[in-house]
Amino acid sequence: MSTQQNPVVYAQAIQFQLNDILSPVPVYANFNRNWAKQTEFVTWQLRNVHQPVYTGQQQNNKGIDTPVFQMSVFNTSLEGAFNISNTILQSLHGYSGMFGDPDDNGFFIAKADVVWLYNTYDNEIGMQQIIMDCTLYIPT
Amino acid sequence: MALINKVLPGYVATLWMQADPDPVALTDTQLGTWTGQVADIVGTSAGGTGTEGYLVPVEAIPAFGADDAFAAYSIAGARTGAKITTQNQVTSLTITAAWNPANAAQLQVRDDGYNGTTIRTYVIAVYDGTDTVAYAFNGRVGGLQWDMSPSAEGKFIFTIHPTGGNSYGWSNNT
Repeated sequence: MSTQQNPVVYAQAIQFQLNDILSPVPVYANFNRNWAKQTEFVTWQLRNVHQPVYTGQQQNNKGIDTPVFQMSVFNTSLEGAFNISNTILQSLHGYSGMFGDPDDNGFFIAKADVVWLYNTYDNEIGMQQIIMDCTLYIPT
Repeated sequence: MALINKVLPGYVATLWMQADPDPVALTDTQLGTWTGQVADIVGTSAGGTGTEGYLVPVEAIPAFGADDAFAAYSIAGARTGAKITTQNQVTSLTITAAWNPANAAQLQVRDDGYNGTTIRTYVIAVYDGTDTVAYAFNGRVGGLQWDMSPSAEGKFIFTIHPTGGNSYGWSNNT
């Protein structure tokens, strides 16, 4: 039996954790309206929230949640983008423990698994970008 | 503390071993005793005290428990037979670890395998960030192999064969 987890809590924890890892680099959910005035920042998007469901009748007959959040690292310099991404890798890849604010809805994760997907350049905004995925394995 | 009441990712399991080169394996009773026994082998990262244990850096914890066994009976002319369950051995664990030649736990396993008679207590700890459930057993190391296939990192593969029919115990932090 496992309870259905609340994605709002995931979102709060991701924002807190990335901010904790990257500060003073600003972290935003989804989009940064102020991109023109900032030389570096990170945005994230949550996806693939899904606990497998097992045999019928009993709603709580579910497995663990393994949500994925994508991180987009923006920087006017490619070296800066690589360095921010490296900070994320060093802190988050393989991490096990408290995720999010321990005093406000933080939760234990068994493992965080980060994949560096690719790096690219956005000519419209003139910034280097690095796209990374992170899967969380959450006891539920 | 209450027993963990959650569904857990496989990642929460870790393998620990007594660190003493010449260990005194826990008794059957101690294998099921958390405080002062199993907790000392399990490290703080899994809710123990970690005063006497090494983390064994395995790739994954294999299935553990007891082997399946039964005696089957059938009678000519009868429609059904019967299966009578028998208590069987504690399951051997074949462990694959990414090989680091300087890793203290792997060196100890290597020495145990060379020795062949060392009986050591191993613990599989399941931890949810607050509480721990532990499966402890005594075993000897056999089947040491190093697999340096070029398709992946070098692997250190070994098997832990449990000793005795009841040399395992469950415990949890209290």
